[in-house]
Amino acid sequence: MAQSNLGGDPLTNRVDRRVIHRALVVLVVAAAAFFLLTAMGSPALADTAIASSHASAAAGDASATATQTISIHAEAADATTAPGDNRVIQQLVNGLVFGLLLALASVGLSLIYGTTGLSNFAHGEQVSLGALLCFFFTTQQPVSLPLIPVEFTIGWPLVPSAIAAVAVAAGTGWLQDRFLWSPLRRRRVSIVQQMIVSIGLSLALVNFIQWWFGAERQRLTTSIDTRLDLGMFSIGQSTLWSLLISLLCLGGVAFFLMRTRTGRATRAVSDNPSLASASGIRVDKVVRLVWVLATGLAAVGGILLALYDNAAAFDVGARLLLLMFAAVTLGGLGHPFGALVGSLVIGVAVEMSTLWVGTDLKYAVALGILILVLLVRPQGILGRAERVG
Amino acid sequence: MNDAPVIVHADDLFAGYLPGIDILNGCSMEVRQGELIGIIGPNGAGKSTFLKSLFGLVPIRKGTVKLGTEDITNMRADELVKRGIGFVPQNNNVFPSLTVMENMEMGTYQNPKSFKAAWERIGDLFPKLVDRKNQRAGSLSGGERQMVAMGRALMMDPQVLLLDEPSAGLSPDRQDETFVRTREINKTGVTVIMVEQNARRCLQICHRGYVLDQGTTAYTASGQELLKDPKVIELYLGTLGA
Repeated sequence: MAQSNLGGDPLTNRVDRRVIHRALVVLVVAAAAFFLLTAMGSPALADTAIASSHASAAAGDASATATQTISIHAEAADATTAPGDNRVIQQLVNGLVFGLLLALASVGLSLIYGTTGLSNFAHGEQVSLGALLCFFFTTQQPVSLPLIPVEFTIGWPLVPSAIAAVAVAAGTGWLQDRFLWSPLRRRRVSIVQQMIVSIGLSLALVNFIQWWFGAERQRLTTSIDTRLDLGMFSIGQSTLWSLLISLLCLGGVAFFLMRTRTGRATRAVSDNPSLASASGIRVDKVVRLVWVLATGLAAVGGILLALYDNAAAFDVGARLLLLMFAAVTLGGLGHPFGALVGSLVIGVAVEMSTLWVGTDLKYAVALGILILVLLVRPQGILGRAERVG
Repeated sequence: MNDAPVIVHADDLFAGYLPGIDILNGCSMEVRQGELIGIIGPNGAGKSTFLKSLFGLVPIRKGTVKLGTEDITNMRADELVKRGIGFVPQNNNVFPSLTVMENMEMGTYQNPKSFKAAWERIGDLFPKLVDRKNQRAGSLSGGERQMVAMGRALMMDPQVLLLDEPSAGLSPDRQDETFVRTREINKTGVTVIMVEQNARRCLQICHRGYVLDQGTTAYTASGQELLKDPKVIELYLGTLGA
């Protein structure tokens, strides 16, 4: 519900331009550094075979399949092309894709932290749940519900399955807040205690999901993705669709937060819940909406990551959790767009680091960048120091 | 003023933040429509707790609060806002990441259609806010934030405004400006209940004052009478500047 009665002056400049510039500068500097290193020639860059074998070893990782594809692509590159040139662009594109999908999965984490102060360790399981619920609705194999010994086949097409999975996952967000987090807040349970509860919930959920769907990797689709060759890089057709969906979802979140009354109320709750309440905002309602939104977006992220990775497993979210926390912290804890910027930086760093270091170290590079950035900017890339007094 | 109907009636309130520990031990107050009430007292007397308990932010364990004839004891803050009570906290009283205009918009959250008219009204009262409407509230000075906080509370056109130490942390000239604004707001017909550390200045502008001591209402009289009361002077006002 867009608000249009703001005294005739449209809200056009709510995204502080300085923070956008700052984020762009970080991205450009990072990209320039990578290109510079590439131009100087890196021994690891030429060692495609090693990268390839590392990629094979890490096939279970969220983006390993993409890395593998890229390695194969690089190997198959024409001999006339300068060695590594295409790989750099390809890794950059893959990094941006992975970053956007990671942003989709982690934006909910940031929203929950912003409005409640909770670092939700069970957010990763919402990502896994989304992907596996989609598998549940779309697979042609017989499936069953937990504790009900009746098997049946649903076998819906991918899109309706994904919509149903997101709806069910968003419902779990509503249920969680209604029966767990809201009572804990009402009883004034401290944030640290709530965080411990979320760790317990994460362990319980990961075991529950494994018990329900099994430990094996499940494919959401059996069709083989067509790769489009766009000159300097190639990209899968389904990845393009994933990109479009994630951009639409992230744009939708941005529109909601900046241009709608409820979105601005969400930011107000994020700033100061007691003042929001004193302004007449039903804080509990806003927080419940955030839980629904966060778990729904995590499910969308989980489904798209499963498509990107060709499969999903019960622990895909748990594997991504640290990267999601890194992205949210790097971007600026609680900042509405922090998760997006942080995820893009992490995504690009993760994928491009494989040009110089083994794929086993790619997450370490991303987390190293997190530490470096926080040493220079403790509030994260988009976080702002507030004036005191 | 004395003929005006009673709008807020707090009767023998016992309240506190932690279970079993009462900060208020029998506070009572009667406020008539259009009055400007000052609540003063030493540190730890329970002034802010009293104000917060009226606004449902501190649980009341015994006693009642009535708005007109309606019992509003322990009512949720957003319900109180709906009934026309505005509250300006002492600290953290703006939304720092929102612009001045968005802060004002939150003031009319329950009635968004009234935004335009309310914004014009607040703009007349605080012209500086109009100049800074697109600036983030977190980047404003303390005095400007106080204006935003009061403006936000007034956006909903409340019948009762609760102010928790509005002059705290401000320079003397800004303090004066705040007291002048408060009196102007009161003159528009808004009943104001104000907790203040600057007791002398507060009593100079208020119609009546309540003196709190150890969680109970020790004295009540008109502002001028309290200013001259030897006991109040000795205990709370001191002799400097008398």
